Amino acid sequence: MKHACKQASRLASDSLDRQLSLWERLTFHFHLAMCGNCRNCDNNLRLIRSSSELIEKTRYGKISLSNAQREKLHASLKENTGY
Amino acid sequence: METSDDPHVWLNEHGDYLYRYAMSRLHNEELASDLLQETLLAGWKGFARFAGQSSIRTWLTGILKHKIIDHIRHEIRERKLAEAVENDPTSVYFNENGSWSEAPKAWKENPEELCSSEQFHAVLESCVDKLPEKQQLVFRMRDVTGEDTETVCKSCDITATHLHVLLHRARLSLRKCLEFNWFGQGYNS
Repeated sequence: MKHACKQASRLASDSLDRQLSLWERLTFHFHLAMCGNCRNCDNNLRLIRSSSELIEKTRYGKISLSNAQREKLHASLKENTGY
Repeated sequence: METSDDPHVWLNEHGDYLYRYAMSRLHNEELASDLLQETLLAGWKGFARFAGQSSIRTWLTGILKHKIIDHIRHEIRERKLAEAVENDPTSVYFNENGSWSEAPKAWKENPEELCSSEQFHAVLESCVDKLPEKQQLVFRMRDVTGEDTETVCKSCDITATHLHVLLHRARLSLRKCLEFNWFGQGYNS
């Protein structure tokens, strides 16, 4: 198949964002079964997604408003709502 | 239970949650705090429209989400982020016949290991920073924050197909950059 690996890399990426059609799934998995390079690429893209997500969760999972920010917000709410 | 209509109570009970939601999407403390304030005020003004079918937290998150989308749309318009779809930068990774010009290697680390490495964070971040702005934006929204594709398309004013093209480009560049700068050592087999 012409442009097979390039096409497969697109399907590997798309599969992270949408449900592939039945035909796409068939050609994609048929290609992966025969192509170690594309299996690696597929796994690499998944690893990029999962480690990015995990890093982000660790980074923002525990942050909270500082006391100064909180006070400023309460003050501006009071100013704008009148109570 | 009666839901309080006092924005001070909302701030006390849901402020941290909403702030985290905004921070993970905006990465800017001042902006996150400003949009949180606007959200609480909008909620107060529009409380009559709160039907009580969802929790007040869900309702406020919905308001905040719209404010974030508006902000990103505005940013994109201001900065005129554009990327031609015609020139395909992924061509460099493939030969004329569509096979890999350089074979992708198997990466052996798992997400937990990578996540605990400060050096990996730095390398990943520098690779993402090197992407063209629009690719950076959609990659961060989709793969980093985990925003759904519909929201990303709406924020960036692009079609789903255009989003897929941008993400494909971004991920292949990142793959290459990480292979070169992180997974390179010891993977020469």
